[in-house]
Amino acid sequence: MWAVLAMIVGVVLGVVLEPTVPLALQPYLPIAVVAALDAVFGGIRARLDGIFDDKQFVISFISNVLVAALIVYLGDKLGVGGQLSTGVVVVLGVRIFGNVAAIRRHLFRA
Amino acid sequence: MTSARPPERTETGSDDERPRVYAPDFLTELFRNPLDAGYTDAAEQRAATGGAVRYRRTGFVLRTIALVLAGLLLAVAYQQTVRAKPESTDVRNNLASDVVAGQKEAAELQRSADQLRTQVTRLRDSGLVASDAAALRNLEATVGVQAVTGNGAVITLADGPVPTDPVTGRPDTNPDDFLGRVLDTDLQIVANELWRDGAEAISINGQRLTATSAIRIAGSAIQVDFVPLSQPYVITAIGPANLADRFSATATADEYRRLHDTYGMRVSIDKRSKLNVPAALDSALQYAKPLQATKSAPATPGSASPSPSTTGGR
Repeated sequence: MWAVLAMIVGVVLGVVLEPTVPLALQPYLPIAVVAALDAVFGGIRARLDGIFDDKQFVISFISNVLVAALIVYLGDKLGVGGQLSTGVVVVLGVRIFGNVAAIRRHLFRA
Repeated sequence: MTSARPPERTETGSDDERPRVYAPDFLTELFRNPLDAGYTDAAEQRAATGGAVRYRRTGFVLRTIALVLAGLLLAVAYQQTVRAKPESTDVRNNLASDVVAGQKEAAELQRSADQLRTQVTRLRDSGLVASDAAALRNLEATVGVQAVTGNGAVITLADGPVPTDPVTGRPDTNPDDFLGRVLDTDLQIVANELWRDGAEAISINGQRLTATSAIRIAGSAIQVDFVPLSQPYVITAIGPANLADRFSATATADEYRRLHDTYGMRVSIDKRSKLNVPAALDSALQYAKPLQATKSAPATPGSASPSPSTTGGR
């Protein structure tokens, strides 16, 4: 409940404040979003499994976003940014899918 | 990654302390158990120490901050994506509206110029003998600084169908040089032929041809006196009543019929009455200098000799 409210507050803040992202950071935004989504869905799934842990969630959120951005940054420097981004998206995407499937099983028993 | 155990078993609290093992087949492991291993680890630890799910204030605050950040990230990313497109379209729209405004202003100025010109003509005529005034007007009509109304012909040219790539079925990637395309030379040839057939005034898409007119191609657009035209190219010619028939009988007309049959260039020759050819945009007067300084020669644009020139002007 609080979690949903907190996310809504975040979205509202983003809409109201309209923060401008520095140009240098813009390429990392999509990847950061995917990483954040992965952390959030992982958290939801853990919650439904009954093994949610605050520390684990916060650390996975921060590290996911940072590591994803770092990988893209490194890839850009090495000239394989596109491929590495794809790799990050595939891995995170698989995890998101798996976690969402688990959440679905929890909620709908299907 | 822990072992490949499903989390249901950890939930029940099996307490064997297995070391964290990284499966050699990482992707399979990823597909089988996508949950962050830390959660199961923490749960196992809790089960081992016998504690329930800890509920700490700092944990709650941190979690909330993380979620707010996640929401913020989503909103920002969405706005960024949405904003990226309108910026370019905004610029485009601004430019387009600037062009439209400029064209409107030009039309307005042209209209007022036309009004002033008729005023000037009226005032001048009132100060002249009737025969002189009529002669002047005829000269002006010939030169192109006076609008002309009368019978004549309308020749319409337009590009043929763009050839399609036989493999992909899509329009050819470089359609600028297909054979059914109307070029500046086509308009020049038609205009020159009309002059020869007795046309007295010609306009292309409302641009009056004068002695100094140039029909040229710039990029992929045909320009008449630097005014870009778009298709179809409507060549309005005022002249003898049988101008259309005369033009139709020429070799030039035959050539364009052939282009129509072969390459699909759209060509039509129509006889019309009550055609209207506007006055040319005012061009700066150009004076010819006589070789001997003793004679003063009047020279306004257009010496009224109807010999066709390569530029299609007169």
